[in-house]
Amino acid sequence: METFFLAISFIIAAGVLPFLFLRSSRLMRGSAVIMTAAGGLTGLLFAARAMTTATPPAATFLLPGGLRVLMQVDAVSAFFLLPIFLVAPVAALYSFHYTRAQGPRAAAGYLFFSLLTAAMAAVVCAADITGFIIAWELMSISSFFLVIHDFGKKESRRAGYIYLLFAQAGAMVIFATFALAYGKSGSLDFASFATMPAQARILVFVLAFIGFGSKAGIIPLHTWLPHAHPAAESHVSALMSGVMIKMGIYGMVRFYAILRPPGPGCAMLLILTGAVTGVLGVVLALGQHDLKRLLAYHSVENIGIIVLGLGIGMLGAATGHPLMALLGFAGGLLHVLNHALFKSLLFMGAGSVQRGAATLNIEQLGGLMKRMPLSGTCFLAGSLAICGLPPFNGFVSEFLVYSGGFQGVANSEAQMFTALAAVISLAVIGGLAVACFTKVVGVVFLGEPRSEKAKIAPPAGRCMQAAMVLLAVACLGIGLGAPWFIALARRAAGPLLATPTPMPAPLDTAAYAIALAAAGFLLLLAILAAGRGLLAHGRPAESATWGCGFSSPTPRMQYTGSSFAAEIVGFYRPFVIIRRDFSGIHGLFPPLSSFRSHTIDLVELGIRRWLARSVMALTGKIRWLQHGHIQLYIAYIFFAMLGLLLWLMV
Amino acid sequence: MSHCADICLALIFLSVLLGMAANRLMELVKIMAFQGTIVSILPVLLEAGQRDAAGLGFMAVMLTVKGLVMPLALYAAIKKVANLREVEPFVGYRASIFSALALVLAAGFIDRTLAPFMPPTHVMLMPASIATIGAGFFLMMARRKAITQVIGYLMLENGIYLTGIALAGETHSQRLLEFGVLLDLLAGVMIMGIIINRINQTFDDVDTGMLGSLRD
Repeated sequence: METFFLAISFIIAAGVLPFLFLRSSRLMRGSAVIMTAAGGLTGLLFAARAMTTATPPAATFLLPGGLRVLMQVDAVSAFFLLPIFLVAPVAALYSFHYTRAQGPRAAAGYLFFSLLTAAMAAVVCAADITGFIIAWELMSISSFFLVIHDFGKKESRRAGYIYLLFAQAGAMVIFATFALAYGKSGSLDFASFATMPAQARILVFVLAFIGFGSKAGIIPLHTWLPHAHPAAESHVSALMSGVMIKMGIYGMVRFYAILRPPGPGCAMLLILTGAVTGVLGVVLALGQHDLKRLLAYHSVENIGIIVLGLGIGMLGAATGHPLMALLGFAGGLLHVLNHALFKSLLFMGAGSVQRGAATLNIEQLGGLMKRMPLSGTCFLAGSLAICGLPPFNGFVSEFLVYSGGFQGVANSEAQMFTALAAVISLAVIGGLAVACFTKVVGVVFLGEPRSEKAKIAPPAGRCMQAAMVLLAVACLGIGLGAPWFIALARRAAGPLLATPTPMPAPLDTAAYAIALAAAGFLLLLAILAAGRGLLAHGRPAESATWGCGFSSPTPRMQYTGSSFAAEIVGFYRPFVIIRRDFSGIHGLFPPLSSFRSHTIDLVELGIRRWLARSVMALTGKIRWLQHGHIQLYIAYIFFAMLGLLLWLMV
Repeated sequence: MSHCADICLALIFLSVLLGMAANRLMELVKIMAFQGTIVSILPVLLEAGQRDAAGLGFMAVMLTVKGLVMPLALYAAIKKVANLREVEPFVGYRASIFSALALVLAAGFIDRTLAPFMPPTHVMLMPASIATIGAGFFLMMARRKAITQVIGYLMLENGIYLTGIALAGETHSQRLLEFGVLLDLLAGVMIMGIIINRINQTFDDVDTGMLGSLRD
């Protein structure tokens, strides 16, 4: 456990040191990067050791006021430490060039960045209510400050407000969960919650699912994500989307491991939520114009996949199919790690685009592969990974979830329908994700630049490129080393399973087959590339493409992202509203006309229109209480005190 | 000595009645000085009072703060803002006196109900302190000017001080309480001073009613 605290100290130092070097921006950023890297490496070392030891490391210490905090790192905790300590240093490295132009204010960013990292590590390791709540709130608040880093902008403040609202509403439900669990079990330790009666355990789990779901971004609690991520800086988005929302998943996993709610009800809740979250997330992503908003919706989608995996695992456990449980849990957990890697990679790619072309609007970009080849290639790698295509890591975890689902279809008659629904929604999600990233890569990186800024976009800074290459290599590495990482995920899923379940031989060989096929595919690609270089030496032939008969084509005539996605999004119209403003074309010599379309998130609209409006109407009725007269405010205090006194006396 | 204490307590009741009935600010300040003085010397006059050097020294400090410094500060503040004469009540003067009498009655009632839970102390001490607290609140609630809120706060503090005397058999703990309250008071008065200054600058008046236009 000392190693863990050493890592945390390094990371806290990364937040404090920049304040000593406010004069020298380079020294400031450098100190933060180096300390975060040191903390990350130490933390990874600790997590690796904690995964392999039989007795989980634990620590207890007392807070002032006599509160006892218990920390324990079992395989699940250690597994969740991996993305934290992997992504944080890489994101810090990325920030070295990303925050170059910020001046001394970057120090504040580094402080909250390090606090967020440390708080997440503490969340994962906390084993009682006290420690967990402190770490959880620290995490929420430090990330709130990261979201409003650009507090001069109105959108940033609004995004921060929405984020705070959702984070604290979720925290409130989590507190209610804890209160209920404490009331029923009479103990602050997580481990003792297991002794509660079955009904209470189900209730506590459902409450925890809602509370943690708000952090994870399950639909309908996802609306903060598409606001917060475009507002935050890219390395922050990478950490928040890649790692922080996984803390919500961690909460669900932890509570499942403790409570083991009986019956298939909870599992079906997770599968249903996962399917809705995944499909709607990706459909909403398709309709976005802002690159970071689009990626935020993809985070929602991937949370859906993870929740689906967990749901399949729980269903397997509830219906007595240990193999299905193993595959579901291992797939879901491995997808946590995978998503952390490729989503942070994609957010960093979006950040490079933003720094280069000064916009995130997809319709104004284009042709960036020529301007920033390395960033573009890394983004492409991340896109392939997020679509779940081999040889990248997304495929491995989704393969596990699929296998779990098919186990359910094949073996469990009672739950066949649920398992089948899970498999089908996974397939739909995968297909739509491919369409979405075809759109992104095609419109942003291929074709011709659609704006002047995109035409002259400089390549990303060296550290930004290095960070992206690191992550892309990691994505590829997990794809190539599938058997080892599946074994890792199986070890992490250990505490979730009632009995240790061995992997059956066919699946074990399948893991090796995945790795071999991925390696073979890469080899083939390399041979083809080399052959092309040898045979077609010299420059490729240049000629005009078919321009649809236009005599002088302009970049504006290119297929736009919206038109690419319109057909698919239109199919899901009941769930996604497309709003079009078209001025129309009138007369033989039409004047300037305009067309604008944007998709509306039905859930967000619903929250705003029904929930927020009714609450406002209700609170509007008691608004006269706030009138601005100090005398009456004092009267409120006086009569409240008097009332309390009388209440005590009676 | 007990007689002196009784006389002091009677004077405190009188100051409460006068304070709530006062219609001029200067009058109110004088009443505050009077009340502050009485309240400061009361602990020495009680039977259980500490009459050694420490006790007397503490009395001297209190006397300076409550009887001299605070009233002078108020006096200076009123002089500084030119058009400060009347206290401008929300509740009329007759109704204020009536409320003061009701308050004294209520204080007696509360004291009787609380008596079983309290350490034994001088007979009228608790009602006096409750009445003073109530009067402080009344001044804060029922007067328009911001400066009367400060005065109300000071009177509230006097009441808390009296309660402290009543509650504390041990004089040291009472002093601890008093210093805590004094610090509180300092912060409170400073904040109020700043607010008065700001209101005055913004609206050319110290009428807190104007603040109503600032609500969202």
